Amino acid sequence: MNRSIKAAVAEGVDEIVIKNPAARHNIAVGIRQSCKIMIEGSVGYYTASQLDGPEVSIVGNAGWALGENLMSGKITLSKNAGASVGASMRGGEMFVGGSAGARAGISMKGGTLLIGGDSGFLTGFMMQKGRIIVCGSVGDAAGDSMYEGTIYVGADVGSLGADAKYEEPTEDELIELWAELQRSGVDGKPRFRKIVSQKKLYHYDTLERLERTLI
Amino acid sequence: MVYGSNQVWAPWTVDDIHSKADLGRYRIRGMSTHQKITHFDDLTFLSTGLTRFPLEGYKEQCNTRVELGGLNAENPLVLETPIYITGMSWGALSANAKTALGKAASMVGTASCTGDGGMLPAEREASDKLIYQVLPSRYGLNPNHMATAQAIEIVVGQGAKPGTGGLLMGVKVLDEVAESRDLPPGIDQRSPARHPDWLGPDDLAIKIEQLREATDWKVPIHVKLGACRVADDVKLAAKAGADAIVIDSMVAGTGASAEILLDHSGIPTVPAIVLAREALREIGLYRKVSLIASGGIRNGADVAKALALGADAVAIGIAALIALNCNRDIPEANFEQEIGLPAGSCNRCHTGKCPVGIATQDPELVKRLDPDEGAERVANFLNSMTMELALLTRSLGKGDVKSLEPEDLAALTIEASAMARVPLVGTDKVFGM
Repeated sequence: MNRSIKAAVAEGVDEIVIKNPAARHNIAVGIRQSCKIMIEGSVGYYTASQLDGPEVSIVGNAGWALGENLMSGKITLSKNAGASVGASMRGGEMFVGGSAGARAGISMKGGTLLIGGDSGFLTGFMMQKGRIIVCGSVGDAAGDSMYEGTIYVGADVGSLGADAKYEEPTEDELIELWAELQRSGVDGKPRFRKIVSQKKLYHYDTLERLERTLI
Repeated sequence: MVYGSNQVWAPWTVDDIHSKADLGRYRIRGMSTHQKITHFDDLTFLSTGLTRFPLEGYKEQCNTRVELGGLNAENPLVLETPIYITGMSWGALSANAKTALGKAASMVGTASCTGDGGMLPAEREASDKLIYQVLPSRYGLNPNHMATAQAIEIVVGQGAKPGTGGLLMGVKVLDEVAESRDLPPGIDQRSPARHPDWLGPDDLAIKIEQLREATDWKVPIHVKLGACRVADDVKLAAKAGADAIVIDSMVAGTGASAEILLDHSGIPTVPAIVLAREALREIGLYRKVSLIASGGIRNGADVAKALALGADAVAIGIAALIALNCNRDIPEANFEQEIGLPAGSCNRCHTGKCPVGIATQDPELVKRLDPDEGAERVANFLNSMTMELALLTRSLGKGDVKSLEPEDLAALTIEASAMARVPLVGTDKVFGM
């Protein structure tokens, strides 16, 4: 199917509709040209992953690792996403209309991941850059071992992960976040909590005698 | 018993405790394990006599070409020698070192491999056959780069530090390297141990399919395992759909690892190959799924022994760096002054102060390695190893390295006999069987 999509895009087709995906894995993988792909139905693992450019819209639920390693483009999911949504994404935008499973935005390196509902355990685990916006609640260990980037949470936080801390968002940030919600069709203006890195795990505390003379 | 020496509280043990008492954390170093292990030197070849005749050792044709990962890939990886350069990151190594390794590989018709940190464009340009690693960190992973690769390698584990991720001290995470990895410059990077998007073997099968789809089923997908629970891991990787499995043993090298992992985890290369071979044989995939061994390969004899035990190819890391000048007292360097250890025993890759310009990002040190001269040395070394391999193969009466087999070997120690599953010299007994 992916080879057919790539061939169609190469021939100049710019809008592709996939009907009855039957929750198959690996639909719309590795498309590196601009185009629009509409998937009508629920999909399995790795849907719309390793993309650079396309706009993908899915009407239904998605399995693990939706939008993994997204470079650029936009992914919209109408319902719920499984674990590891937006894993290691480096750019682009993702919108999940429902809730997401564990490890949303894990190892994220750029872009914006917006989740209309809740997200699970280890949201933003080892995140490096980018923004995760969760309109509902997040599970335990939010932002564990994150390097940089920001997690905004609209409701409750189960617990913070290692080296994560709360920071007060500015009014300008909130206004920008609310505008973003409005653009994605999400109602409400939650007072977001902001999670960032404490940066206490950036360095080993000590060096060996010999290392001290070298580093 | 030796009076005056204490096996348990040896001087280095006392020093280790003193160091940790100062430090308050585990110690870190590069290179490889210091453990005494059974290795290829504990095996010997049973060359020809009257039972079979040799080929002309110096001249007669001997095929060293191998094809890897042909099970599902449209374009298997074809190497002119069964020795390629293993994954070592740009970051752990300088750009000059990566470029030299890529050039050397191309000069002898073999492959080089990216490492944890994405693809260095200069290495891509230099290396005709580039293996693109997909690691838990996903640093620098770019599907546009991956699409240009000749093979993909999913790294599950690394022999020097199985069960954990990479380590790169802040002194090496300078601007370009930090940018390529999307990390803040200067941080002590500790890479993830688990992949972000899959956890177990059932997920891995879907991940492998994803990478095939991303690369249009054209190139082989390798899975690299740190050699620990080899038999089960190999079966699971093969069942998940790997075209080739890389077994990286506890002897394998690294630019930085917690010393405790280097010395106290994993198993040696010899039993790792045998366990992997038997695991593949058990599920009917031996010689269908390619088997690549790495860890402590130093010369053509090690390669020949690895192939005889069941590997289809080997990957080298430290040996290639030594050929590049690692631990060599070059005129520009002053090892004692610059790294605090004499040339020949340096294992301070993690400090980023490599006096020969290999394991460093310091622009002044990097200048000490000319990529063209370095490539020449590594290519010479690869050619030397390949000639040694061919010489041994011919001496066994064989004209193709793929014909090497366990029956060509005998063990010099009881331990080697048990691990390699070949008879102890002077007996017809395979210990442990």
